[in-house]
Order: sequence, then structure tokens, then C-alpha cells
Amino acid sequence: MIRAQGLTKTFGDKVAVNGIDFTVEPGRVTGFLGPNGAGKSTTMRMILGLDAPTKGTVSVNGHRYASSPAPLREIGALLEAHAIHPGRSARDHLRWMAASNGIPTTRVGEVLDQVGLDTVAGQRAGRFSLGMGQRLGIAAALIGDPPVVVLDEPVNGLDPEGIRWVRSLARQLADEGRTVFISSHLMSEMALMADHLIVIGRGTILADCSMQQFMVDHAASYVRVKAPQSTDVEALLVGRGLEVTRTGDELRVQGLDAPAVGELIGSHGLLLHELTLVRSSLEDAFMTLTADSVEYHAKAADEIKAGGRS
Amino acid sequence: MTSQTLEQSLPRLAPRGGFANVLRSEWVKLWSIRSTWWTLIALVVLGAGLTTLMCWGNADWLASDDADESPGSFITWGMMIAQVCAVIIGVLTVTSEYGTGMIRTTLAATPARGRVLAAKAVVVMGVMFVTGTLTALLGYLGGNYFLDREGIGMALEGDVARAMYGSGLFMAGLALFSLAIGFIVRHTAAAISIVLGLVFVVGNMVLLIPGELGDFITKVMPGNAGGEIATPVSFNPDLMGPWPGFGLFALETAALVAIAWYLLRKRDA
Repeated sequence: MIRAQGLTKTFGDKVAVNGIDFTVEPGRVTGFLGPNGAGKSTTMRMILGLDAPTKGTVSVNGHRYASSPAPLREIGALLEAHAIHPGRSARDHLRWMAASNGIPTTRVGEVLDQVGLDTVAGQRAGRFSLGMGQRLGIAAALIGDPPVVVLDEPVNGLDPEGIRWVRSLARQLADEGRTVFISSHLMSEMALMADHLIVIGRGTILADCSMQQFMVDHAASYVRVKAPQSTDVEALLVGRGLEVTRTGDELRVQGLDAPAVGELIGSHGLLLHELTLVRSSLEDAFMTLTADSVEYHAKAADEIKAGGRS
Repeated sequence: MTSQTLEQSLPRLAPRGGFANVLRSEWVKLWSIRSTWWTLIALVVLGAGLTTLMCWGNADWLASDDADESPGSFITWGMMIAQVCAVIIGVLTVTSEYGTGMIRTTLAATPARGRVLAAKAVVVMGVMFVTGTLTALLGYLGGNYFLDREGIGMALEGDVARAMYGSGLFMAGLALFSLAIGFIVRHTAAAISIVLGLVFVVGNMVLLIPGELGDFITKVMPGNAGGEIATPVSFNPDLMGPWPGFGLFALETAALVAIAWYLLRKRDA
């Protein structure tokens, strides 16, 4: 379990993380979402005792990380793919890590097998592809068989097979009762992986809820209606106090579910060509939620417009 | 399974014995990169090879009446050059981790940061003391062969014997000095430049400062103060003497280590 209380980090007069409280529970995959510069990495570094909080505390399994005699047995972390010396072999990298926490050397072979690097264990890590580097980083996170696993952008650089592997690994770790905390900027990936979401923007927590609750709360949904006599249908729906917007020949109806909209139209003898419940993706929901907290706002907004409308 | 039961299912660690683990870890790190091997090979080749070469080239001059230097100044000559390798090993032990971001993995594995510094220091100093002493001995064997042929060979005793383990001590001290600079500036090129500049360039340029002030600064420069212990007879007769000089060098190094320790604990990784 990871618990942050009033966690704050300032760099000069810039507030990176602003008094956040959250708890990452065992037995489920918790996703940590946020735009660039939102404070994700800073938070993760404070969890691991690498950055000292300006105010507040963060504890792992009930105590401060730095007070653990063998922290790799308590929390395993994939920080960044390049936190590995390129001249050292995968096996040697895991050997020194195991030695530092008194972990038996047999674990080195076990985790190399587990991440599928056993055949290249003797090769220097500098020759690894980005994906192999990620696998080595994940092996390093698992070396101490820790009850808490923190993965920062684990699917970065992985091929589709690798992404599926990380997904099932995260699930397996959570099912074993471990605390799994994963940051990713890939919202669609998070939708497939996480049970619970913590969304951070500009150093504050914007949402801390289950994935389903997040979709209900933040993902816009509407019923798309196409009908030959659309003016009549529109008048009917508006007459019932529903919110209707017209886009070309389709009507977007909010405030009632699809079957009810269909029954209403049918009961007035009007024809219906299409009736669809449209729900925005997690990505859209995330964009909506963080629209005001994106760090590089003006530029990002222009890019979204340019990219989305072309 | 809850996290509590999972935690309990892990083998409990002995509360003490942590430092031995960190030492072992730093030992594995040092020997698992090629630059360590290359640098140590260079140290032996330069240290023993150049000593032998200088003794071979100067033996007949040293034995003649024209000689105004002692053979004792030549018997560890190569170590003056080989000390560059001690600087490189000391600096790289630290800055290669900062350059690759690996320092975060290290500090996450060992949150007691003072232990990381101490373990690196012990491992590097141990290796440099042994390598430095053996290299000086090898150079003595090679160089003294040529001095012997001219009848000016030296026995391995007194100041000559002291210069052997003195070479090891100076190499160990210089590596620690470099390691501390590495923790302070956290950048390979900057750290190597600072140490080499201080020891080789500034250390010799201060000779040009006139008067007593110049003499004083020359004496207390780390390379000049610490290096005398590595040679039976110094080229510069005005230095502090082997042991007082090394004592001062040890104090200067200790001060740098204290600064490095303070910064390592205080700064975010």
C-alpha cells in the first residue's frame, strides 16, 4: 500500500505537486494519469525517496521508504528505461541490485526468465532495443519479489506482444494481492489495464475513483438519432425537455437513454433510421477533465485543433 | 492474499549486515564494466612501463658525474603519469551513474545514501591501493634491472620500500579525491577536468608564483603534497616531506568527502 498525505514539492517558486492525498490499495491495478508536467514523475520519485517532499509525507507499507533496510523487497520500481549502465550486461545489472539488498542470486535467473531476456542476459544493455530495456527495467522491479510494484510508463517502446505481456503481468501481480501503481500517458492502454484511476493535473488530484466511475462521471455520452422527419423528431424531443443538438442530418440527444428515446419517437408514429448510444473514450474524458490543467496550454490547444480537424 | 500476508511470506532480513550488502553490490558494479579493466591495464602499463623506460634511458647518465638528479627520483617515475588512471576510476565510479540515470536505481536500492558513498570509497580505495602498490613493484623490478647494470641499483628497503606502498596509498587517496569531486559536480568531463587541472596544471603553475607565498601554495596543492610519498627522492626538494605531505593531502580529501556526503544527502537524485 502507498499512502500520500499533503504531499507537496516545489522547485524554486514553481509548485510541482500541491498538497496531494491519495492511497494506492493492494489487489488492484491503479493507473496514474496526467499530462506532461502534471507532477507524475515527481510524485513517483518522492514515493521512492529520491526527491525529498517540501511538505507532507508518503509511506510505503506504513513506513517511510528510506527507513527500510531492504527496500527492493518492499517496493519494486521501473523508473525510466535509461536508468541502466549501457556497458553492463543485463545479468550483472540484476546481480548488483540483488547483492545490495541481500536477495539470493537465484532470483536473477528467475526474473530474467519471467521477462523473456534469459537468452540475451550476457549482452551489454547498451545493445538492447527500447523494448528490451523496458523488460530489463521490469525485471529489476521484480527482483525482490516486492508486495508493491511501481511502473512508470511501462509500455513505452514495447511492441504489441510486449504491451499485452505488461497488461497480463500487471493483472497477475494485482491478482496475487500486490499493490500495482502504473503511470502512462496512453489513455487507451490505461482503459485496458487499470481498475482504479488517479488523475493528476498541475500538481493536484483531479479524480481518484474506479475506472467505471470515472467513465460515468467524465465521459460524455449521447444518443445519436437519424430520422427522415428530423424536424418533427427534434421538436418532439425538445418538447420533452431534452437537450438536442443538430449536426448535419443527425440529432445528438442527452438526458435519456437509447431505448427510452426510441420508444418516445415510436409512440408518436415517427420513423427512425438510426438509434445509437455514443460514449466518448477514456482519452476524450481525460482531455475534458485536464483541459484547464495542461501545462503548456496555448501550444497544446493549437496542436489539438490542427490535428483533430484535419 | 493481502499485502500484509504477502509481506510476511517474504524472508525476513537480518536488521544488521546492510553495509556488507552495499559493499558487495559496489564490487559487482566495479568489475562488470569494461572501462574498469581498460583503465587498470593502462595504469599497470603506464606505471611500470614508463618507469622501466625512463630508467633504461637515463641509467648511464644517472651513473655518471654529470647527474644532478637521484636514481630514487626515477624508480617510480611512471606512477606520476599512471595517476591519471586513478582519477578516471574514481570519477567514473560516480559520474557514470549520474550520466546514465542509474544513480536513481542505486539510491532506491540503498536509501541510506552515506552507505553508498562509503561503499564506493572502500571498494575503489582497496582496488587502487593493491593495483598501485603492485604496479610500483613491477616498475621497480623493471627499472632497477637497468640501474643495477650501471651499478646504481637500489635495495627494496627504507624510502624505496615506502615509495612502493606509498604509490598504492597515493593512488587510493587520489581515487577518493576524484570520487568526492564526482559526487559534487555529477558530470564526467567536468570532474575529470577539475581533478587533472588541479593536480597536473595548477599544481605545476603555482611554482611560478614568486616568494614565500608561491612556495607555500606549491607545498599545499593536493597533488604536490600527496604525491611525494610515492617516490623515494622527490624531484622538488622544497616540498613538505612524504608523511606530513600525505597527511595534509588526506585532510584535503577528507574535507571534499565531507562536502560530497553533505550534498549527496541533501540534493534530490
